[in-house]
Amino acid sequence: MSTRVTRRELGAALAIPAVLSGQAVAPQNTDEELKAARDQFRQNGETLAKFAIPVTTEPAVHFKA
Amino acid sequence: MAVSIPDDVYFASIAELNQRLKAREFKAHDLARAFSEKLQRVGPGYNALALLLEKQALKFAKDVDDDLKVERYRGPLQGIPFGAKDLLAYAGQPTAWGAQPYATQVFDYTATVLTKLAKPGAVLIGKLAMVELAGGGGYRMAGASISGPGLNPWDKTRWSGGSSSGSGIAVAAGLVTFALGSETSGSILTPSAFCGVTGLRPTYGLVSRHGAMALSWSMDKIGPMCRSAEDCGIVLQAIAGSDGEDPGSAGKGFYFAPQYTRGIKEIRVGLATVDIDEWADASARPAFNQALDVIRGLGVQVTAAKLPDFPYSVLANTIITAEGACAFQKLIESGEVDQLADPKQIAGLKAGLEIPARDYIKAMRIRSMVQQSFHDIFADLDVLITPTRPGPAPLISQPVGTALYDRPQPKDRGLTQLIPAGNLAGLPALSLPCGFADGMPVAISLVGRPFSENTLLSLGREYQKATDWHRRRPPA
Repeated sequence: MSTRVTRRELGAALAIPAVLSGQAVAPQNTDEELKAARDQFRQNGETLAKFAIPVTTEPAVHFKA
Repeated sequence: MAVSIPDDVYFASIAELNQRLKAREFKAHDLARAFSEKLQRVGPGYNALALLLEKQALKFAKDVDDDLKVERYRGPLQGIPFGAKDLLAYAGQPTAWGAQPYATQVFDYTATVLTKLAKPGAVLIGKLAMVELAGGGGYRMAGASISGPGLNPWDKTRWSGGSSSGSGIAVAAGLVTFALGSETSGSILTPSAFCGVTGLRPTYGLVSRHGAMALSWSMDKIGPMCRSAEDCGIVLQAIAGSDGEDPGSAGKGFYFAPQYTRGIKEIRVGLATVDIDEWADASARPAFNQALDVIRGLGVQVTAAKLPDFPYSVLANTIITAEGACAFQKLIESGEVDQLADPKQIAGLKAGLEIPARDYIKAMRIRSMVQQSFHDIFADLDVLITPTRPGPAPLISQPVGTALYDRPQPKDRGLTQLIPAGNLAGLPALSLPCGFADGMPVAISLVGRPFSENTLLSLGREYQKATDWHRRRPPA
């Protein structure tokens, strides 16, 4: 018997429902996820806004080190 | 007739394998066939395999054998089987970036790093699984991949780490001799630590990203994941170098010469005891402390160090998500982003398109200050050392953030933010296996100034001469 696995067979095997593969199911409410992401980025913005930067500081656009 | 490949070959170093090939113990073709067979047979059980390239590998290996037969030697990588993270283009074959919307994507060109590895005769046998889109939008679960969760060879109930999950698994399980991974913020170091392999994140710009998926143009790096620091140096020498196809290329090459770096006793090492005493898991502290004892025993000069107080994670999160959302704008606006596996990733990418320009630019301005602060730190030090991750790999069923981010920070943060901080500053890092906690590998990282890879590899090599953690194999 051949042990070869085609890409299609591999994909099908991996399509096992998460709950069967022992993986906890993540929250499925996409609206809540999107709200949480937006809240996170808003908080990030608030953190950045509080950070004092010298007026001469330019963005790090050169990485030639 | 095919030659039988002894089991130790699957865990041999690059130099050893190359010597055995030159001694004609077996042929490159035999090696490519044996590794391909093992990758195909074992890889799917760990969700490590994205695409087998056996036919191409065998054809290429035959050419390598022709060279070896007439003693046309091309260096230590000649005939060595390796795998590449599936974000690297290989002409004419699918490159899925770990994500369902790109499952049938095919490029008509090959990534520079793969072309560079072909020149000295390294044999690409397969593409390796990864977290979808390298996790750019943030992800909650290990299963955020078209391949499913990366299962750790040391314990399949545990995560391999990501986003270079298949690369870490394949090296640890002896499915390839080395692999290429990529790191934007932790994606080489984390799976290297969790799987017990040695991983090198090169300085930003040292290795071309032409042909690699772009997540964050200003932070993406490609690097080797190997069995030892020595092997990382050999691979880095082959893949580093100027590339006009990569606008971020630093225009520098790399010659692996640890023997010519400064003496070990001259290396000034900075560490923070709080990293281990307060941040690390209690189960991992003995391994980390022992590792520091070994480092001290090498005779390096050790002093206390800490990072300045910047919001490293906020900076990295803002920059990566803003750049990533722009890189995947078409995917997001077409609605195909909803085909991704992880709802947090989907939401992160969508919301990432809304990050205000002022936040991104402010983050990039603070990033300049971070870079300057490292310049100051490395005026007095050569290497910073900290646990790569504070504990071993989490269970597959746990949210990944539990192990990576969502843990109390000590009041004095020491060097605990070195992964986002080092990535923001484009610094090289080397993760070295240093023992076990709860039966799982843990690792320390060495971080140095830009283009100081030889110093890191030199110290890493000395550490690995004094220890054997990098030689440990997971259960069969």
